[in-house]
Amino acid sequence: MNDAAERKLALSHLWVAFIAFILACFMGEYQVLERSGFVPALESPAVYFASVSTHGVLMAFVLTTFFIMGFGYYTATTSLKQPIWNIKLAWSGFWISLLGTAMAAVPLLTGKASVLYTFYLPMQAHVAFYFGATLLVVGSWFWSAIMLVMFKQWKKANPKKPVPLAMFATTANALLWLWTSAGVALLVLFQAIPLAMGWMDTVDPGLARTLFAWTLHPIVYFWLIPAYTAFYVFVPKQAGGFLFSDEMARMAFIVLAVFALPIGFHHLYMDPEQASGWKLLHGIGTFVVSIPTLVTGFTVIASLEIAGRLRGGKDLFGWIGSLPWSNSMVLAVILSLLMLILGGFGGVVNASYAMNAMIHNTAWVPGHFHLIFAGTTVIMYFAIAYYLWPLLLKKPLFSKQMALVQLWTWFIGMGILTTPWHVLGLLGQPRRISSVVYNTLLTLAWKPYELAMIFGGLILLGSACLFIYNLVKTQLAPSTETFTEQVEYAETYHPVASVPEYLNDFKLWNRVIAVLMAISFGVPILQFFFMDTFGSPAWGY
Amino acid sequence: MNQIDEEERKRIIESSPVGTFALMAMVVGSMVIAWLFLYFGVFIPRGGIN
Repeated sequence: MNDAAERKLALSHLWVAFIAFILACFMGEYQVLERSGFVPALESPAVYFASVSTHGVLMAFVLTTFFIMGFGYYTATTSLKQPIWNIKLAWSGFWISLLGTAMAAVPLLTGKASVLYTFYLPMQAHVAFYFGATLLVVGSWFWSAIMLVMFKQWKKANPKKPVPLAMFATTANALLWLWTSAGVALLVLFQAIPLAMGWMDTVDPGLARTLFAWTLHPIVYFWLIPAYTAFYVFVPKQAGGFLFSDEMARMAFIVLAVFALPIGFHHLYMDPEQASGWKLLHGIGTFVVSIPTLVTGFTVIASLEIAGRLRGGKDLFGWIGSLPWSNSMVLAVILSLLMLILGGFGGVVNASYAMNAMIHNTAWVPGHFHLIFAGTTVIMYFAIAYYLWPLLLKKPLFSKQMALVQLWTWFIGMGILTTPWHVLGLLGQPRRISSVVYNTLLTLAWKPYELAMIFGGLILLGSACLFIYNLVKTQLAPSTETFTEQVEYAETYHPVASVPEYLNDFKLWNRVIAVLMAISFGVPILQFFFMDTFGSPAWGY
Repeated sequence: MNQIDEEERKRIIESSPVGTFALMAMVVGSMVIAWLFLYFGVFIPRGGIN
């Protein structure tokens, strides 16, 4: 199949993602320097909050959305072995999302949208920010629609056959994203834009926070699923083995898609607008969603164990040393899983109803999500890029050795950045502050940790530059006619001939999601229309 | 890569992943211990909010 058009489509998305990423990395290092107070010339709350808002939007929305779309298109076309359905629509989605990004960038960079990436109302940004964010999401809905159509078309053409696992995972993510983004879409459409346009004088912050909580947790799984997809469909083959279980992988993606959604109130444990019973229900659901993560950990490690033993590894743990650590995909998954263990522990603490009070709105929280997102997830984005770049460009990677150094430095830098961040949270440092204005023994005790974080940030920035350098050099290298590598998806030792329909389709699970969402968000949202609440005027810009 | 015969290959693939079970048990056990330490060693000693 001549897939040049699909490769160009995927590559364009991935480049937008990684340009956003490198810009955001520079901002991140500035922020940790500014907040430390070590460089008085840098101190400026206005610039800090503009930067932290832009950093958050670029990393959490632009990097992720464009990466997931690009990776999804490539996965769909190569796993199903068919062209992208309606490639003009796909390009339309790309340009709409890019236009939205540019539109949101203007108020962000001029300090007119310093509302952080959560943009909780009644904090108000310039209306261009909300329109830009809307376009970014609308463009991604085109992608979701294309993935769902391709999934359906393939199933129709191949009745009873199991959908390739890579496409099954991608479709799970497309479905999850449609459900996930609906919450923030309602918030922006019915609250943020009318407020910013002056059509409403006040807004209900409780309703806004409830709608954002709808989006805020499953969006993390939207970001994470490409990493899990690589765990299952690339890693076993790259390690020299087989996927331990195709069915367990499918079940993990289904449970992730279903249970990531109705659990967002663990972000609202300290909020007054929801009753404690609802919070407890969502809290229990939060622990349920740890199950697919444990299943994923088990399946991936078991696949690695098979590979390690096939390579001559003996004894209980001898297979670990036999793994091909010089393969960037294998190295990345090991480092990613290590960060997932540490970040997962932080997440369990966050989700614990009582203990959440200890770390709520402290520096622990950004420490946690940097470890899970920038650590566990983004290191797999790097590995996927290192694997896909040669396949997309039909040229070998500029330097495999540089890729390994980059992955190690990202892991080390992330450890040095996030460990003090967690400790600072336990010491009581609040999050979302631009500087430490008090000169007390307590705040002086924070200084060594701030210093460590600056150092960790510098390592990360250097690592990010190495990553981009490697991609650019690969892109600019002359074409070779001898490059014949093809994408290789992992398989189980005994190829899967058939799977039950509930492991091969999302119709049933879509209905389950609808029921669970109605149960967990129905009354909590409807209550705002039946009880007296008091709106708040816009605050900020 | 180490060369192994087909019989050994089949035995490896069909055997139980004991190393994985052991690793997972260690990870889950460590997380439980760390959670208990944080709950009883840090959170509870801080007392209630006055």
